[in-house]
Amino acid sequence: MARILIPTPLRPFAGDKDSVVLEASTVGELLDLLTRENAELRKHLFTPEGKLRSFVNVYVNDEDIRHLERDKTPVASGDTVSIVPSIAGGAAPADTEAPVAELSNEEILRYSRHLIIPEVGLEGQLKLKRARVLLVGAGGLGSPVALYLAAAGVGRLGIVDFDVVDQSNLQRQVIHGSSDVGRKKLDSAVETIRDINPHVQVDRFETALTSDNALPILRDYDLVVDGTDNFPTRYLVNDACVLLGKPNVYGSIFRFEGQATVFAHPGGPCYRCLYPEPPPPGLVPSCAEGGVLGVLPGLIGLVQATETVKLILGAGEPLVGRLLLYDALSMRFREMKLRRDPECPVCGDRPSIRELIDYHEFCGVPAAAAAEPEPAGPDIGPLQLKARLDRGGRFLLLDVREPHECQICRLPNATFIPMREVPKRLGELDRGQEIVVYCRSGARSAKVAEFLRNQGFGPVRNLTGGILAWSDQVDPSVPKY
Amino acid sequence: MIRIEAEPWAAMLAHASQTYPNECCGAMLGRRGADGEKTVTRAIPLENAFPGSQASRYEVRPGDLLAAEKAARAANLSLIGIYHSHPDCDAYFSETDLRNSCPWYSFVVLSLRGGSFHHANCYLPDADRTSALQEPLSCPDGDINLWQES
Repeated sequence: MARILIPTPLRPFAGDKDSVVLEASTVGELLDLLTRENAELRKHLFTPEGKLRSFVNVYVNDEDIRHLERDKTPVASGDTVSIVPSIAGGAAPADTEAPVAELSNEEILRYSRHLIIPEVGLEGQLKLKRARVLLVGAGGLGSPVALYLAAAGVGRLGIVDFDVVDQSNLQRQVIHGSSDVGRKKLDSAVETIRDINPHVQVDRFETALTSDNALPILRDYDLVVDGTDNFPTRYLVNDACVLLGKPNVYGSIFRFEGQATVFAHPGGPCYRCLYPEPPPPGLVPSCAEGGVLGVLPGLIGLVQATETVKLILGAGEPLVGRLLLYDALSMRFREMKLRRDPECPVCGDRPSIRELIDYHEFCGVPAAAAAEPEPAGPDIGPLQLKARLDRGGRFLLLDVREPHECQICRLPNATFIPMREVPKRLGELDRGQEIVVYCRSGARSAKVAEFLRNQGFGPVRNLTGGILAWSDQVDPSVPKY
Repeated sequence: MIRIEAEPWAAMLAHASQTYPNECCGAMLGRRGADGEKTVTRAIPLENAFPGSQASRYEVRPGDLLAAEKAARAANLSLIGIYHSHPDCDAYFSETDLRNSCPWYSFVVLSLRGGSFHHANCYLPDADRTSALQEPLSCPDGDINLWQES
């Protein structure tokens, strides 16, 4: 004996009852019994050929029978069967979402391992083919995402990147190879994608994503994969996704740890719900400053690629409202619950941000410095420093890199205090003495120089370009890393 | 004839503005009078589950509709209809709306311009979902058909 609930509009055809209890062993039998003596009700639920109408879903308790045994799904005493229509629509004319005609024989063979999974099948593969995904960045995270989405048959991939392949990228940015060093990342990425899957249309955006171009670029895509390496762009991607209603598949990496989640999914939180304010400039080092385990972006990028494919297919449970935390050293995944913040300035109930803002200003990074990593100020270049060292200049040479970096290379007669220890080791420095600070690229040392000046030290100079420039201009035997 | 009370009407408009520039969707609960007149007393916003761009498409997840139906039963109300928004375009019943509708319910379409409510219409799809009749709609913003335009 199972109870079948009758939707209100059908009750007039079922003796005005809101539910009926019938003796049946399967859903098919139950519906047959229900409609056997009622032609009108039958017409509402079944086609003249006797098939359930396409918009009719049947649930046993809380489970769609399509995920069970369809009309052969057994029903037992105490089960509740519900009839739920599928409803969709929208202002779009029906033909804009018309399926790409079909897959070619070559594509059917290529995607055969997808086609035989019920959750994908032909319908899912066509969804992938129709999907338009924008990758912001073709670096550590963007590489695996682009490779696998192309292989999976995502029809259109947009890539935003204006960088050039550098030797130091190859340790993790696997879409580029050794022969690509010096080439535009876009050229190299497009070539690799073509080779993996010539059916993918790649849109090239050789530009930095900015408040001026983000909305027009994002507008044409269904979802966005964030593979950026800096906070201004991260907030920009987030806000643009929220404003346009596009899911933002987020990933971030640092040394041995990574995070991933899906932001700006309807009802879910956004990046600002998690981090309303950016960290103070310089507090969180970038991969270039802090280093990253080369395999880490592979794993986090593939979490992003997996979520992207799931969102396109509408399969499974998306990583919405959950922040996945991964620690490679302990090989552990953890999950943090995230909630949409009703007070969020961009996705909250009363948003104060309704258009894109100046994200460099918001993150406290001057736009010029963001585009051009060379630090400004009363600084010293490698050649000037060499000349002063040769003259036996009386100043303190302060190396603020981490101990393991100092093992790779160092400048003569330097004092070592890692950046993070500087504030508590000020007593070791002489306030009256001139200090020249250096690091790998000049970015960290610029912050330390600024900090020391603010603490009343002086004069404090930063070695512009750091060890890298020193190796280029003064001593090529010093290795660059 | 479908009449929407002030509270659900305000909730529907707020929901539509919130999801702008995307489409919103939700369930309308209420009562059916003996004369066939429907009164909506409660609106339940539902998540737009359309997997692609939601600027001009919506999809109701069947599980959500089931939950709305349950909420209706619990409150001794009926699921009367479905509402959705058309951002920056008129409140017509598109081919997409018609083909993916269900003849059992009233479909209220809210037109928004620049994030604010502009006008609305209500439709009743036929059994084959090949055409829809316009259903007179009464709401706190007055006689809705006043706003009808091409």
